[in-house]
Amino acid sequence: MKARSTTTVCAALGLILASRRAAAEPATNGKVARPDHFDLSVHGEMYGELFRRALLPGPSGSIVEADTVAPLYEYLSLRAQDIDAPWRPDSVDVELAAWGRAWLGEHETEGPLDGDVQTANVRYRHGPLALRLGRQHAAGGAARYVRFDGVTLAVSLGAGFEAEGYGGFTVLPRWNARPGYHLLGAAADSLLRDPDALPAPERSGYRLAGGRFGWASAQGQWTLSFHEQDEPLGLARRDAGFDGRVFVRDNVTVGAACLLDLDAERVQDARLWVDATPASALDVSVEALHVEPALFLSRQSVLSVFSTDAYEEAGGSGVLRINDHFALEGGGWMELYDEDRRGARGEFGTRMLPGTGKRTVVRLVYARVLAIDNGYHSLRASLSRRIVPALTATVEAYGYLYDDPIRDRATSEIYGGTLSYQATRALSLMWGASLADSPYASLDAQTIVRVAYDFDFSTRRAGR
Amino acid sequence: MRGGAALPHAVLGVAVLAATLVGACADRAEPRFPHRAHLAELDCGAPGKPYCLDCNSCHAVSKSDRAHKLPAAATCARCHGGDTRKVLAVFETKPERASGALRFDHDRHLAMPTVQGQCVPCHAGVVEPRRSTLPPMSQCLSCHEHEEQFRAGVCVPCHVQADMERTVPQTFLRHDQGFVRRHGQLALQEKRVCGSCHAEAQCDGCHDVSQDVGIERRRPDRIEEEFVHRRDFMVRHSIEAEAQPARCARCHTVDTCDSCHVARGVSGNRAGSRSPHPPGWVGTNAGSKSFHGREARRDIVSCASCHEQGPATNCIRCHKVGGFGGNPHPRGWKSGGSESSGMCGYCHG
Repeated sequence: MKARSTTTVCAALGLILASRRAAAEPATNGKVARPDHFDLSVHGEMYGELFRRALLPGPSGSIVEADTVAPLYEYLSLRAQDIDAPWRPDSVDVELAAWGRAWLGEHETEGPLDGDVQTANVRYRHGPLALRLGRQHAAGGAARYVRFDGVTLAVSLGAGFEAEGYGGFTVLPRWNARPGYHLLGAAADSLLRDPDALPAPERSGYRLAGGRFGWASAQGQWTLSFHEQDEPLGLARRDAGFDGRVFVRDNVTVGAACLLDLDAERVQDARLWVDATPASALDVSVEALHVEPALFLSRQSVLSVFSTDAYEEAGGSGVLRINDHFALEGGGWMELYDEDRRGARGEFGTRMLPGTGKRTVVRLVYARVLAIDNGYHSLRASLSRRIVPALTATVEAYGYLYDDPIRDRATSEIYGGTLSYQATRALSLMWGASLADSPYASLDAQTIVRVAYDFDFSTRRAGR
Repeated sequence: MRGGAALPHAVLGVAVLAATLVGACADRAEPRFPHRAHLAELDCGAPGKPYCLDCNSCHAVSKSDRAHKLPAAATCARCHGGDTRKVLAVFETKPERASGALRFDHDRHLAMPTVQGQCVPCHAGVVEPRRSTLPPMSQCLSCHEHEEQFRAGVCVPCHVQADMERTVPQTFLRHDQGFVRRHGQLALQEKRVCGSCHAEAQCDGCHDVSQDVGIERRRPDRIEEEFVHRRDFMVRHSIEAEAQPARCARCHTVDTCDSCHVARGVSGNRAGSRSPHPPGWVGTNAGSKSFHGREARRDIVSCASCHEQGPATNCIRCHKVGGFGGNPHPRGWKSGGSESSGMCGYCHG
């Protein structure tokens, strides 16, 4: 996995550097070299945290000592578009995103260094064809959302038809798994009678493939999709999907989507929806949904064989923009489970932007959730204020009142705030902190510092 | 509930709410140049009065300009004399360019017969205080039709690609009410259009659950965003998961839940942890209201968030073929796998 990622990253960076060099070199054959017009965006973020933590209870219920840790994170993303290939201009795009972490404090359960490559791929476009190679993802339809190392080939067939196929190796959560943790927690802490019964941490044999075929016009769109994913023991899922929508009028769209588990021969997820904008100031959305939860588990999950129950959900939401500075938002949903049990949730709120220039944003939201065993009322108040052009502050408060106390606590409160400073166009700083008092922690205090660097370069912009 | 702690917290909550409302009401408009006073309300043109102004009196736009070509102090001084500090201070407030820089040929547009050198038809906001001085994209598309470019996700001829990631669509491609629920379908059907602004890494920002710092912790200043796991998520997550079974499983694998539960000692996979289950959960009392089989049928994904140990799961101990838990497969259950293959073999083998 690591070798695959490293190779892709090196290839991507090499291509950009080669392109830059080619663009800088004068033509030697007497012809005027065409400059390479491409766009390059680089975004980097560094986070520093400092906190104390304790894993409670410890093994066999013992009290463990608190650790003081100071993790440092770096996130980096790069995107270059419309790079010239030697034989075709503006045909290559490159994407790269990765993160790394270093523990600067005590770290018994984590390694001192960790990280992952999230995306690293090169796309080549040639007329109606597009080929993407490297770490990427497939999203929507039967794929739902999955990251893989492999290849995607997309083709525009004309008359609104498009097709795409992909295949490769499923990206597992980390290349540097936490030492001592296996599947579900630390093996040493497991209640398993025989921890050796767990299979060795096999990281090969995770493969996937899929594709889609669709048609689009000004009146509507539909797409058929297929996705199959394997694990070392066998099939994880084999799904087919349908997604369609019709633009009934300029301001009304009716859509439907269905996901079918081909192995279980049952509907995993089906939905019917209508999005409408009856007036320029009003957006409305209604939807009905059918879900079978067990089918979201891998077919290699023992638990996936225990249920065929489904639940239905229906409801809608809307936003009314009274003017440029004030909007009302709301929505309500009902769930119908098996044995005629019901649940419901709804929220109502306002969004205010007083003054001009969007210097101040205020949100007030009330929500009510009724689940089968419990429920809550919640109130959220958020304020964002640009104090001076470079300095913005936010403050938020959340309050919760549970129908049934959780661990003898009937309420939760969370307070948070940030202070952001845009030092230059490219460099920004943020400090954030939060305090929470809840059934899950009598006091949860967190703070974070972010340094973000945003660099973009466009040969087109420079040439204008 | 600890009554002693509730009062100061309630006071703090009320204080934050009050600050929120005061902040909203106390906002003042940013200074803006009084275009209307100069263009429409000026007592001008008559003998003894100053000459009337038009846009070109102060602005000299051309295709080589990237900005709105603000006048020099000397231009203002022609009427205002030497005291131009107050006027020039207004120029510090630049109009917000929601779509970044645009490639726009002013010369060519002003020369068109339909435009006839007039600025106001596009820049009506300069004399209407509540509107932006820059035209919305719908204004451009009232003349230019770009259906093919929309389909292909080609924005570059007008927009600068590097600006697109920071552009929030206001009129076209607006991410309206149903967008969050619909965006998966759009990602499937409008992949190229989405890709014209968004890199894949932006999708991973929310969907890649393996990254250590989730998007909500990285962006606590974005109060406008509808993040799923806001900073209040911890206090509501168990109720949310119960209310919408499988919602978590759309993005997360079950070990995502348990790795956190184990670390905090609230998982059955951690020695010494408390069982979250009520009396009557297991045993022979299948008629009990709290019997585990009923809950497992309804929301097996929640069970899996702790009890997913593959062949070593405790479910197998009772429910394997010949076990006293009986056949666990409900009516309608079906699999294409053989009884001896993969996971099936641990019960049927």
